[in-house]
Amino acid sequence: MASSSRQGLTSALRGVSTRPNGGQRQPLEQQFQSLQLTPAIVHRRCMASQYNGRRDNRNNDITAAPEFDFGSFARKFALANYARPVPVSPSYFSRTPSFNDRYLTLEKLFRAYSNLPLIPAADAERIAWKTLADLRQSFGEPVKATDYVKCLTIVKRLHQIHPELKPDAVKSALQDFKRDVQAFLNVTNPIPIDKFGRALGVGKRKSSIARAFVVEGDGQVLVNGKTLPDYFGRVHDRESAVWALHSTDRIDKYNVWARVEGGGTTGQAEALTLAIAKALLAHEPALKPALRRAGCVTRDPRRVERKKHGRVKARKGFTWVKR
Amino acid sequence: MSTPNCLRCLVRPSAGIPVSGPMSRTATTATPIAALPLTRTLTAPFSTTAASNAAPRRAFQPAASTKGHSRVGKKLQLGKFKKDRVAERGRVPQPGERKAYRKRITLSNDNAIPVPWLTDLAPADMTAAENTARVLALPEEVQDQLRAGEAFKTTQCWGMFRKPAVLVRKETVNLANQMQESADNRKTLRLVVTGDKVAGKSMMLLQAMAHAHLNNWIVINLPEAHEITTASTEYAPIPNTDPVQYMQPVYVLKLIHAIKRANEQVLSKTYTIQAHPELPQNIPSNTPLLALANVAKEADGAWPVFQALWNELTAQKANRPPILLCLDGLAHAMKVSDYRSPSFERIHSHDLALVRLFTDALGGGVQFPAGGAVLAATSRNNAPRAPSMELALAQREAEARRGAGAAGVEVPQKDPFFRGYDDRVEAVLRSVRVLRVAGVDKLEARALMEYWAASGMLRATVDEKTVTEKWTLAGSGVLGEMERAALLTMRI
Repeated sequence: MASSSRQGLTSALRGVSTRPNGGQRQPLEQQFQSLQLTPAIVHRRCMASQYNGRRDNRNNDITAAPEFDFGSFARKFALANYARPVPVSPSYFSRTPSFNDRYLTLEKLFRAYSNLPLIPAADAERIAWKTLADLRQSFGEPVKATDYVKCLTIVKRLHQIHPELKPDAVKSALQDFKRDVQAFLNVTNPIPIDKFGRALGVGKRKSSIARAFVVEGDGQVLVNGKTLPDYFGRVHDRESAVWALHSTDRIDKYNVWARVEGGGTTGQAEALTLAIAKALLAHEPALKPALRRAGCVTRDPRRVERKKHGRVKARKGFTWVKR
Repeated sequence: MSTPNCLRCLVRPSAGIPVSGPMSRTATTATPIAALPLTRTLTAPFSTTAASNAAPRRAFQPAASTKGHSRVGKKLQLGKFKKDRVAERGRVPQPGERKAYRKRITLSNDNAIPVPWLTDLAPADMTAAENTARVLALPEEVQDQLRAGEAFKTTQCWGMFRKPAVLVRKETVNLANQMQESADNRKTLRLVVTGDKVAGKSMMLLQAMAHAHLNNWIVINLPEAHEITTASTEYAPIPNTDPVQYMQPVYVLKLIHAIKRANEQVLSKTYTIQAHPELPQNIPSNTPLLALANVAKEADGAWPVFQALWNELTAQKANRPPILLCLDGLAHAMKVSDYRSPSFERIHSHDLALVRLFTDALGGGVQFPAGGAVLAATSRNNAPRAPSMELALAQREAEARRGAGAAGVEVPQKDPFFRGYDDRVEAVLRSVRVLRVAGVDKLEARALMEYWAASGMLRATVDEKTVTEKWTLAGSGVLGEMERAALLTMRI
């Protein structure tokens, strides 16, 4: 009811009837009186035509409001000068608006805060930035590789700003360029040395898994309850197994008790290398660079390649037969 | 100086195998090989370096009866470039030559550097504890004696060094002292040497033999038990024995010759105390035992001669030197042999007269007049399962440890649900001592590696690091594995 009355009022103000019985135009007074006015509307109307109201008070005569003066309106309120609205973002019409916006934001921040003190890149918090593929995926836009590189240069430069002085605007601008999963936040659990002085390292290679307990000792090694020559027939495998100790000159300082399972002899020997190296690092963390140079720190991720259909093995083709 | 080639290669258990080289043309199989004069064997019938030059190369010539293809010149030639190629095979080795090459023992290497500080073993060296962790050379006459007794094995690395030398270990001193003690008390030491693979068990026997030779003992060595029990040599029942026993005449003939050559000096100074008219050649009393041993010329009469020799050696109240009786590969002597009785049942090894002789001595049934030792060594790479032997050795070891005051040692017991035990084996091993040979300690390893380095065979600085590395790679100093890791691995 209220809405219909408001509609009626509006149409009355405009002097246009939209009623279904609009064929027979009613006098303005009749129309007006047929409306049931709420006191609020009456009050508003009084305010809108104060002059008339004063006159109404005199002779109770109703006249239409004067025309709106759009010129003064425009002066009073800021109205657009153009026929069509101009987009807020300058890169609205580009192919990569969201990327460009961020890029421009970064440039602006870079100009604004280029005087802030920097810390060395090595001291800055390690952040995994989005790769080009990640960026394209997250923005849903075909970002150019060159633009990505330029953008990331600025990102890294802004990231070097001293953390205590880094403005919040910069922080929030960089947020979009961080990967969702930050691998650098993962903290490896330190290997404890138990009350017997043992450190347990686990190593894998191919399909083998080795667990090595390393204690201080004089160079004895037991693998699955057997001595090294009993367990590994090849001298090369024996050397691989204790390579972590050998390459760091610690072979006469530690004893090893290990369990190995899975895989073949080579895999087991090299799994032992990794396991012993990890356990050794628990005893002497400073050996990490030496062990890395010796190739005892990184797990070799290679596994057996799966067999494919249409092939004898993973890659081997069938024997060619003429017919 | 030792002979340039091994006598083992020339005297084989089976006379059926002809000797290699030009001699095989003249000496037929019927001729006893060992009866050939020694000078004949010294003329290098087998040479490894110029094997191809030893005999004139003869191209393959088809027999004259075949006249070639029946349609010469009309053969269907399928390939354009196919020609008749005659495979160049070189000289085909003589029968037995390959085996002789495989079994040959080289005791010196002229390319190795002579070690200046290496001294020869003296008679009392192995009993002295201060010689532990020292490498000492075998004197030349002992080399010859050991070679005659087949104490050297093909698997040992003698051929890498200028002259044979041995490492005196704690176990060596222990064993030599036990031997010496028993000889001093006119007792018989009965001991089994056991241990891990390539730990040096055969080498312990060799050191014991060297000690015995140096101290003028009589040494009888049965180099491999499997030669006796795997039905690889002839056998015959001994008449008038119940239960029937079997002799192995060819093997025994070889053994008598080995004993004779190894103990020539001692046997010539030991005399018979009774006459032996039953032998092919009459032996009166007070004849050197060497003459008695020389009676064995053919396999036929070998066993009675050996028996006479053994009776003389073990005759009580006679003036005899101490005796060392050795056998390697004990597990083969502790099982049912591969020989068959006339009723085609397998003969127990202890029914073979030679093995029985040894097991009687090992079981304590024989007292040597001047004391001595009966030693046996187990083997790890050519050993049939002998559950009774394994159990008995484990029991003796545990008992010894318990006797030494070790707490909490449990003597292993028989598995009540297992049928494979052998009472005869248990009876033999009921009271033997067991010497376990394990890895060497680092001091001994270092002494050995210094000897290798001084010989130019180990090209590394011998320091704490190298020694520990090889010691660890060898599973806490197992000697054979140390050799593998340090000597036998090519490093460039």
